[in-house]
Amino acid sequence: MKNTSKIFSTLLIGLCASSNAQEIPSDWPKPVEQYNTGMILFDRFEYTRTNDEENIGVWDMIGWYGGDTYRLYFKSEGENKQDDGEATDLERAELLASKLIAPFWEFQAGIGTRGTLSSESNMENYAVISLYGVAPYQFEMDNSIVINEDGDVSFSVEAEYEIRVTQTSFLQPRLALAGSLSESERFDRPSGFNSIRIGLRYRYEFAREFAPYAGIYWSRSLGNSADIARNNGESVSETGLVVGARFWF
Amino acid sequence: MNNRMKQNRRVFLKNAAYATGGLALLGQMRAPWAFPEGYSNSKNHSGIAEVNYGNAVVGGENIKMTISRQQKKIAGDIARPITINDISPGPLLRLREGQQVKIHVTNELPDSTSIHWHGFILPFNMDGVPGVSFPGIDPNSTFTYEFDIEQNGTYWYHSHSGLQEQLGHLGPVIIDPVDGDIGADREHVIQLSDWTFEDPHDVFRHLKVAEGYYNYQQRTISDTVNDIKKQGFVNTVKERAMWANMRMNPRDILDVTGSTYTYLMNGRDAQTNWTALYKPNESVRLRLINGSAMTYFDFRIPGLEMTVVAADGQPIKPVKVDELRIAVAETYDVIVRPIGSNTYTLFAESMDRSGFVRGTLSTELGKEAHVPTLRKMPERGMAAMGMSFDMSGMKGMNEMDTSAADAKSRATSSGSSVAHMNDHSSMPSRALPVDDINIKHDENGHGPGASMLANNPTSRLDEPGVGLENVKHRVLLYSDLTGAKEWPDTREPTQTVELHLTGNMERYMWSFDGLKFNEVDGPIHFRYGERIRLILVNDSMMNHPIHLHGMWMELENGNYPPPRKHTISLKPSEKVSLLISADAPGNWAFHCHLLYHMDAGMFRIVSVS
Repeated sequence: MKNTSKIFSTLLIGLCASSNAQEIPSDWPKPVEQYNTGMILFDRFEYTRTNDEENIGVWDMIGWYGGDTYRLYFKSEGENKQDDGEATDLERAELLASKLIAPFWEFQAGIGTRGTLSSESNMENYAVISLYGVAPYQFEMDNSIVINEDGDVSFSVEAEYEIRVTQTSFLQPRLALAGSLSESERFDRPSGFNSIRIGLRYRYEFAREFAPYAGIYWSRSLGNSADIARNNGESVSETGLVVGARFWF
Repeated sequence: MNNRMKQNRRVFLKNAAYATGGLALLGQMRAPWAFPEGYSNSKNHSGIAEVNYGNAVVGGENIKMTISRQQKKIAGDIARPITINDISPGPLLRLREGQQVKIHVTNELPDSTSIHWHGFILPFNMDGVPGVSFPGIDPNSTFTYEFDIEQNGTYWYHSHSGLQEQLGHLGPVIIDPVDGDIGADREHVIQLSDWTFEDPHDVFRHLKVAEGYYNYQQRTISDTVNDIKKQGFVNTVKERAMWANMRMNPRDILDVTGSTYTYLMNGRDAQTNWTALYKPNESVRLRLINGSAMTYFDFRIPGLEMTVVAADGQPIKPVKVDELRIAVAETYDVIVRPIGSNTYTLFAESMDRSGFVRGTLSTELGKEAHVPTLRKMPERGMAAMGMSFDMSGMKGMNEMDTSAADAKSRATSSGSSVAHMNDHSSMPSRALPVDDINIKHDENGHGPGASMLANNPTSRLDEPGVGLENVKHRVLLYSDLTGAKEWPDTREPTQTVELHLTGNMERYMWSFDGLKFNEVDGPIHFRYGERIRLILVNDSMMNHPIHLHGMWMELENGNYPPPRKHTISLKPSEKVSLLISADAPGNWAFHCHLLYHMDAGMFRIVSVS
């Protein structure tokens, strides 16, 4: 009896195998599932004290959601001078679609806005494309080209590097460079390089997700932007101290 | 830092447990099947049959296994592992070659589950992989596995659903040969695993969004200063620049480390010291099973030589070693002969030296021997960057690089120390079939999912692997393995299949040929009845234990008969060739057995028809 059933089951399996081997029923679950995931990262959330004794609150964050190849990004950056009664200065708020085009690079395209967040504000709305990723020698980069409603083209380069001091503390130099290919009168932006900002910060990880830091920076207006500043009697360069935290969730 | 937080949390949880009287509920310290006496071969006792271990040891023709999730104590803390018959790791499944078995698996979890019988030769619809061999076992339902046992040896079982394996959904399997002989006076199962108190999905997310999240052994400024002192400024900068240029890290050894894992031996951590007993003059068979989700272990018993007699459950010609590396999902059987009534430490160190677990081999309970300290964090060499290590200009730039090159020359020169030490390397190194096979990369370099290509992959079967290059004792090599007997199929291969192991560490993408499972059109096709030569090329900088379900892979390592395995571990920039008899019709899973690599997409279906 046992043997018969064994032979029968072998036959049955043989039959199933020959007919079913190729086709897996469509209502079965996938053996491995692809998940989407995401994160919100405040790379800089800091308080700045400039050499002009101004206090400025600064944020620089990204958020993303998606899979390995396609992701949706939100990037925002800005500052608010304390006690000057003026509104927050939004340097960028961008929504981008992103595609992984090379192992270390994402191509991103989207829309954004920037300007002073006040009622009579003159917001600059624009389209943006970015090359976002890690360059050889481990530089984390965000390179963007922006074209606004008037057709003015500007660009920015941001690069960060990490030097590991201990397993949980890091020295991090940072460079940001901004420029314009065409002049924009409406937004006070002459053509050429506009500004450079170099920073160095030391951060200590209490957890991977939370790392307070302290640092210094130096920034300077460049080219025509510097000339305009000089003519207005403003200083061309600025140095400052920062205290803040890098955190993500 | 992280460890300190973990410590604090532990103290807290312990206090909480005392306060609530919770300890009474949490009896479990070791897997109940891992009794200190082990299993004795003596004719007077029929072994376990006399003692009632309840359903912690299951056997016979009708077996019940119930899967649920329960509060248990692991490494002194409260945890919620998945349990099988109320224990985690699950019960010891003890079968006999030639028997038939029906295993009724009842799912009391809120999610679908499964059990895969790792290393078993059985019909494909009994293999237990949801989406490949069956639809899975729904909550509150029972699936009956039914198959014949056609083999013997040491194996294991585990869930093939999602990340359940990381929650302790696993257990050991022993299949006794027809004559019941265990080949020694006594035997012990040593099942290694890695436990985390984090949710496995959180672990996976951390790997995805924050590269290096678990690695607290990276190079720092002080390492750079030390290297400058040792190798000079120019060499240090050159070497650093090469890694940085590749955007890689020589200390990427394991993705998930001791910073979150507690390593377990038979369910116990190093502190609680699982103990195996022996009687003086006995030979003891240790059945080593690496049931980890992500951890390669280096196993040794200081002061005691091990004779390896089986790999992946299949008998091999005995090899005497002092240490062996056991990749995830592999099993090795070793026989030891303790001297006098000495006490020994069973020491399993994670490959990245971020942690260990130990047990004790002794003649009585309550003893312990010296516990070795963890060795230094190893660094990967040039091969991990996809470069061949005989590039003469690179030699001497990096310690590991030179040692890798040395290991190679040592293994091939007959007067060398390694050749003397290893029983089988006294044979002249043979040319391997894979040496003459030219491999091909995709035209597009396997796409954005592959951040590295191995420019000149080579056979590395005679290398002990990262971190073991310079040890002074005998380490098991894949080139040491020789099948104990001829396998039935000795035909030449008629179909060749080449697959590349690819990955992008930065985004934690893992794949074959740059394509994740959800990106491929259909299965890999093995023609039924034919002899297949499978060529695997590791185009990544990590080690990968590659597992084929349902069929043996005979490793073409130049020895005859070849060893046959269910899981083959590849080193960076390594190529291997394997012979497979495509005698098992149906669909079979084929994947990297690092759990999060598999889940990230390093998975294919092999269809035999």
